Amino acid sequence: MPKNNDSKVLVRLEGVSKKYQSGSNEIVALSGLDLEAREGEFLSLLGPSGCGKSTALNIMGGLLKASEGIITIAGEEMTKPRRDIGMMFQQAVMFPWRTTIENVLLPIEVFGLNKKDYVAKAEELLEMVGMTEFAKSYPWQLSGGMQQRAALCRVLIHHPKLLLLDEPFGALDEFTRETMNQELLRLQSHSGSTAVLVTHNISEAVFMSDRIAVMSARPGRLIGVIDVPFERPRKPELYGRPEFTKLVVQAREMLGLA
Amino acid sequence: MTSTAADVRSRGKELRKQSKSTTQSVIVGTVTLVVFLALWEILPTLGVLNRVLIPTVSDTIWGLGQLIIGGYWWEDLASTLSSVLIAWTIGVAFGITMGVVLGTSPFVRTAITPYAIALQALPKIVLAPVLIGALGFGPESKIAIAVAICFFPVWINTMVGLSLPSAAEFTFMRSLNATRVQLFRKLQMPSAVPIVLVGMKHAMLLSFTGVLVAEILSSASNGLGKLVKEFSIQLNMPLTLAVITVVLTIAVSLVSIMDVLERKAVFWSESERGKKS
Ligand SMILES: Nc1ncnc2c1ncn2[C@@H]1O[C@H](COP(=O)(O)OP(=O)(O)OP(=O)(O)O)[C@@H](O)[C@H]1O
Ligand SMILES: [Mg+2]
Repeated sequence: MPKNNDSKVLVRLEGVSKKYQSGSNEIVALSGLDLEAREGEFLSLLGPSGCGKSTALNIMGGLLKASEGIITIAGEEMTKPRRDIGMMFQQAVMFPWRTTIENVLLPIEVFGLNKKDYVAKAEELLEMVGMTEFAKSYPWQLSGGMQQRAALCRVLIHHPKLLLLDEPFGALDEFTRETMNQELLRLQSHSGSTAVLVTHNISEAVFMSDRIAVMSARPGRLIGVIDVPFERPRKPELYGRPEFTKLVVQAREMLGLA
Repeated sequence: MTSTAADVRSRGKELRKQSKSTTQSVIVGTVTLVVFLALWEILPTLGVLNRVLIPTVSDTIWGLGQLIIGGYWWEDLASTLSSVLIAWTIGVAFGITMGVVLGTSPFVRTAITPYAIALQALPKIVLAPVLIGALGFGPESKIAIAVAICFFPVWINTMVGLSLPSAAEFTFMRSLNATRVQLFRKLQMPSAVPIVLVGMKHAMLLSFTGVLVAEILSSASNGLGKLVKEFSIQLNMPLTLAVITVVLTIAVSLVSIMDVLERKAVFWSESERGKKS
């Protein structure tokens, strides 16, 4: 379901800059970034390595403070990490002393909610990613892909409005990554959350997104936004369609790769 | 899924390799022990070593028999053991408390670290005369010396353990807006458990050492240390070695108990290590 332009804005960055102090010199990671994510949409941040994608995402998640600019989430100014945001990183970060399902339920514990109310939800999520029989296994008994599946369940357990995903499957092999991307799309549309995905893989961005924010090399700026009009659910056949290739080429041109 | 199956299989192979090397090391170990005992028996018998100063294995076993039949030393055993356990408990409690305070508050850590380093460098046994002077020859001075010697590894390991989680783990907890208490309880503390247990194991042996040294130094009225001292002054070497055998047995038992506890508590870390190696 492609989103119309008038759906509500969930996250808005206005004139966001970020400077890092490293020793005596200053690194400008982001400069004057304007960006918005609309409710329910799948937005990708695409750009070369080091252009500030992770920085932008961490600012949206409240993990980093912007040097300048305003960040609002659902109309409120962002100050610290919020419960209605779920973040996922390249490493699964599963605690080895907890079983899979205990790891999935960790956010519930941290939020001080009653775990009993969420066990059924956790089991349902694990079933959706085909992990039911590993619910009682420990992370070190799982492959990397299975750990990321569990991390996906964990980020969805408290039904966050906004998913911030920093190359969540970047450490996986290409086959696993494609399956995981499919699973992510399925779960995201199931939960109706808004998703912002950081990636430097162009066709992945086209395949997954409703819109792609293309960023320039450092200092990170927005070059432009590509609308991706394909119907959902997205099927792997999409990769072969000429319209798909056209968008990939368009993104490459914007990045100066063509 | 296939990759997992392959993983399991290769791990199985590793296990088999391990068990093969385990049998080999058991054989080597047994041979070493037999050779050692044989030399210990033969050399003093042949007069290569002075049998009065170094009694044979059979002399020692005879001494052990005398000791057990005599039975007059149960009080010494109880005194030493109880001192060791009390000192260990105090040392562990103190070490963990210090470790947690320093490991969770950077301010206190910066303030105290220089003194901690000095204290670590100090061979703490040199404090023994001071403590004996202050506390007398009774169990208090034994316990104090043992505490002084044994708390340090627990302190340091607790502090180190709390900082073990990776940056990614800290970031993840922060993304959940976890409080400092939650960070401590759900991430830092569990991460620290394995290394704290190692510290506690060392502390056990150090506490034992401390108590024995105190007993030997302080002309205490009882204890295994006093027993060793008295027998060796009388040049009764079979009985001296018999007491040392008792000490060895206790030490090995204590360490074994700690090993079992450790394996139970940190099953996850064991497997992690297994996977990494
Ligand atoms: N903590 C930091 N201190 C100093 N400089 C930093 C820090 N974090 C990031 N940077 C710099 O800011 C720039 C943007 O970093 P960021 O991690 O956001 O890039 P990225 O687009 O996510 O790259 P990648 O695709 O490689 O993950 C980089 O040039 C990096 O060197
Ligand atoms: Mg990054």
